[in-house]
Amino acid sequence: MGTATGIIKALNSGIKHIAIKRFTLRYPEEKLKFVGDGYQFDPSTGVGIAGLKGRHMLFHDHCTGCQLCSIACEGVAEAIAMVKVPDQQTQNKKSIMPQIDYGKCVFCGLCVDACPFYALYMTNDYELSSFSKEGLIYTPAQLAVKPYVTQDSEIKITDRGATHG
Amino acid sequence: MTAELPPGLALQKVDERIMTLNVGPQHPGSGHMRIIVQIDGDYIVACDPDPGYVHRGEEKMAEYRNYITNIPHLERPVIHDSCNILYPYVLGVEELLGIEVPERAKYIRVIASELNRCIYTMYWLAIYGIFLGHSTMFMWPAGDRELLIDLMEKMSGARVTHAHFVPGGVRNDLPPNFEDVCLRQVNYFEKRIKEYAAIFYDNPILIARTEKTGILSRQDAIRLGTTGSVLRASGVDYDLRKKEPYDVYDELDFQTNVLKEGDSYARSKVPWLDMMESCRIIRHALEKMPKSGSVRVKLKPNPKGGDDSVYKRVESGRGSLGCYIVSDKKPEPYRVKLSVGSFRNLIALPYLLKGEKLGNMPSVYWSLNYWPVEADR
Repeated sequence: MGTATGIIKALNSGIKHIAIKRFTLRYPEEKLKFVGDGYQFDPSTGVGIAGLKGRHMLFHDHCTGCQLCSIACEGVAEAIAMVKVPDQQTQNKKSIMPQIDYGKCVFCGLCVDACPFYALYMTNDYELSSFSKEGLIYTPAQLAVKPYVTQDSEIKITDRGATHG
Repeated sequence: MTAELPPGLALQKVDERIMTLNVGPQHPGSGHMRIIVQIDGDYIVACDPDPGYVHRGEEKMAEYRNYITNIPHLERPVIHDSCNILYPYVLGVEELLGIEVPERAKYIRVIASELNRCIYTMYWLAIYGIFLGHSTMFMWPAGDRELLIDLMEKMSGARVTHAHFVPGGVRNDLPPNFEDVCLRQVNYFEKRIKEYAAIFYDNPILIARTEKTGILSRQDAIRLGTTGSVLRASGVDYDLRKKEPYDVYDELDFQTNVLKEGDSYARSKVPWLDMMESCRIIRHALEKMPKSGSVRVKLKPNPKGGDDSVYKRVESGRGSLGCYIVSDKKPEPYRVKLSVGSFRNLIALPYLLKGEKLGNMPSVYWSLNYWPVEADR
């Protein structure tokens, strides 16, 4: 193949893409859709349930204050601290629950694997930015709130290329 | 004045013709490493690669964490290839603890590892394109990578640094309908990477710049101990997936790509051909995978190994990646040593650059499939 033919072929290959729809997605307006409601773990079988590893969700009525999540995080990020909570739960005698510092968390989900009481899950919320370091520390009360997410963009593959629809 | 200087401080004789040039460590074209190049006009006289700027002490950190909590930090050196860097560690720990992995988990691991190899190679290819001033070749792989990152995100819940492999299998089962989505996106991905031939690999400008530069002969490739795509581009048919099959690679149908030229063009082409093989492996694995079953063996909390040591290696995106684990009956390993492909391939750099033009340095350097952070650990 001659040099000229090669260059024309290369240019032609690029020019064909002018007519093809954009593949990238416009992030703040469009958001990717994820599988399920976030990463969960079933301690009875020892296998997780697929989902995005985003912000945690704490169920106050299940947490016993056993500190296993905090111990699991010790070797990873030291992001979990056990703090006193005002609400009295029958299963939580010491009234301590995890408080997570998202400035340190690496979103590995080993704390979810460690929880034997179905109290700690992960959710699809990944927009956690804050103007201060204190804003990244989520108290047990903040972790109990289910995040509101609107994510509906998926990869669509057609004959003329792929787009985020 | 002529007092003896210590060996490290010996002054070099100044030559009027020879100029020393520091490429890096902050240069965007070198990554976090420095290449000290001595040039005579436009030609490189000598070259001294200087890695070590991103040493993180991964191996020392591994001695203070137990076998499970080692996982998130051991995958940090190559976040694009995080399944493959965990693979030898996980295989080693399984042998130490005597765990038998379920069949379905083995197939999921192979699929995850091949997806990660493609994700890494696409990122590497994007940078190779921008090194040569081909900005379209930066945009396309960086965009098409998204197809596979999306699959890994569905599978493991994270776009990079999946922390998906654990001793005893994988963290979670595949989501529902994953097989169909995976097959569709991998098929489209393969179609896309075939389009790179016209714009990049058959492009006469690229061929003129990379062909017959930095030739590594077959003998030198073996003598210097290079691995992976660098070794296969020099005509040595050596792939650990074939030579020492781990998990289910011996049941899958694929071939290794070997080119004889040994120049930068061949070295840049082998990973691209490997990606197409990866697509074949993924398709075959999806077909042969058991449709249901356990994916993880339940371990005791804080498992302890015996008085034993184990060495396992796998074929990563950059070549052979080995992990040596010594256990001394404690929950923490006594020693974890990573032997990485990047560092082995870097050894060839001074030999390849001698006598080359300075303008060919980026293409030769990046064609070695070198990842600075992995080499420094």
